[in-house]
Amino acid sequence: MKDRRSARFPAKLASAGGEGAGQGIWSGTISFSLVAIPVQLVKAVEPGRVSFRLLHRTDYSPLLRRMVCPEDGRIVPPEETVRGYEVGPDKYLLVTDQELESVSPKRSRTIEIVEFIDLREVDPLYYDHPYYLIPARGGEKAYRLLVEVMRRTQKAGLAKFVLGEREYLVALKSAEGALVLITLHYSEEILSDEGIVPEGEAVDAGERNRLKGIIQERISDFKPERYADERRKRILELLEKKVKKGAAVEAPPVEPEEGEGPADLVRVLQESMRKAKRERR
Amino acid sequence: MRTVARSAGRRLALSNLEKELYPSYGLTKAHVLEYYRRISPFILPHLQDRALTLKRYPEGVDEAFFFEKRCPSHRPSWVNTAELVQGDGERMTVCLVNDLNTLIWVENLASLELHVPLARTGSPRTPDALVFDLDPGEQADILACARVALILRDLLFQQRLAGFVKTSGQKGLHVYVPLNRGETTFEQTKQFTKAVAEVLQRSYPDLVTAKMAKEQRKKRVFINWSQNDASKTMVSVYSLRAREKPFVSFPLTWKELEDLSGQGDPEKLHILHSEALRRAEAAGDPFRDVLVRKQKLPYL
Repeated sequence: MKDRRSARFPAKLASAGGEGAGQGIWSGTISFSLVAIPVQLVKAVEPGRVSFRLLHRTDYSPLLRRMVCPEDGRIVPPEETVRGYEVGPDKYLLVTDQELESVSPKRSRTIEIVEFIDLREVDPLYYDHPYYLIPARGGEKAYRLLVEVMRRTQKAGLAKFVLGEREYLVALKSAEGALVLITLHYSEEILSDEGIVPEGEAVDAGERNRLKGIIQERISDFKPERYADERRKRILELLEKKVKKGAAVEAPPVEPEEGEGPADLVRVLQESMRKAKRERR
Repeated sequence: MRTVARSAGRRLALSNLEKELYPSYGLTKAHVLEYYRRISPFILPHLQDRALTLKRYPEGVDEAFFFEKRCPSHRPSWVNTAELVQGDGERMTVCLVNDLNTLIWVENLASLELHVPLARTGSPRTPDALVFDLDPGEQADILACARVALILRDLLFQQRLAGFVKTSGQKGLHVYVPLNRGETTFEQTKQFTKAVAEVLQRSYPDLVTAKMAKEQRKKRVFINWSQNDASKTMVSVYSLRAREKPFVSFPLTWKELEDLSGQGDPEKLHILHSEALRRAEAAGDPFRDVLVRKQKLPYL
């Protein structure tokens, strides 16, 4: 598990910790007992997906996603939408923003560690999403101390943490001198393995030993850098070739003057215009 | 040459009443004063608390005119005024035509046309209404403006906005959208009208232009969105215009505009002072809603 991170991690950590106040996803304090460590939450992973825009085939305009009413095909502006919880065919319970807010956890500025656990006991099934915690100014010393002690004791902190509208169960663990925060799934989110474990008679001892041998031959350290997303690599190569060939197409320029207009307004006006034109015929 | 008239308990010194201000139509200053006196119940609410720009024609419509933004210093003591701070920081005293006597006094100065801003002096940054100033270019006429106005009406209606139309009294039409919310700024009304003008231009490229350039305006209707500015004024509804004939900037119902434009006779969209009086006194002020109706611009 030691080589999981790339070599640039410490540099990234240092730069983010310096001037980066306000750069993080969240800032607040880790607290337990009398300890309070000011920290910032930053991303720990960046999915390497190559993303594409959908263009109109005829003129290469980048297309927009819009909410459309199936009744009349009209674009529905955000203020005309309400939230509905489906309770049956064509039946919904309406829930307002206020109602939702009233049941959402209060925003909090602390990560309150409630207990310390052995992370080896936590099934990776529970791991949801990893973040780094970086010390904010004045918190460096306490941060280093916590990381050091957690490393020596091989313990991870279990905490409740409100991010956005949700309260998460999180594990704080030390990794190479840094604190990693991993949001965990609640147990009710973990699906039962019932029906997945095949039933049957005990396995034959000979077969078991043979398979053991095969596995042992292939034991190795985990070196993730040996593997790469091959498809991503090939897509990037493909794109690079296209760039070199000068194969880029151009979308029609949005008329500069019109670019100033609020996009929603212009879109809705255009839609109305088309509709009015139809009716006029 | 001087006549003293009694009006609402004041003595008004009137001058040159026989002077023909519309010579080819034979309309004298006395006629002009009489027009404004009779139209006053309808026009005064639209002038109320707005900085008046006088457009004076002392020798009549065929001769030189001059604009006067400052309220003349020789004004009577009872004329309401407001202090405006201009862009350059200089202060300026302006006339507020808040009563009949001031209106008569202003007309005695031969200010045939009355121009006012879209905002009142108490809240100069927030207009009570926005306007689409439809101005026909060369080889286009008021019927083309009517077409554009009717399209505009439908487009506004789909945004849940009511629009009101009046003739400019010259060749164009003005479509007003009341706001009356005290928070919509000129930046917003300009942004909105510009966006609308450009969408119309794109949908009706042969009929509409949103561009000021002369060449673009040929055979098209120019939607002058830039009138939505604190520094600009619009001719008031019910104001006379200084043309050969005493045409009035007159409000029309949409039904009237539809009917009149359907008849295909541009002359019918030019309303004379006598007809203006007759229609206003019979039907009231279709433009009243512009002063009271509260509307919010979408997506701003």
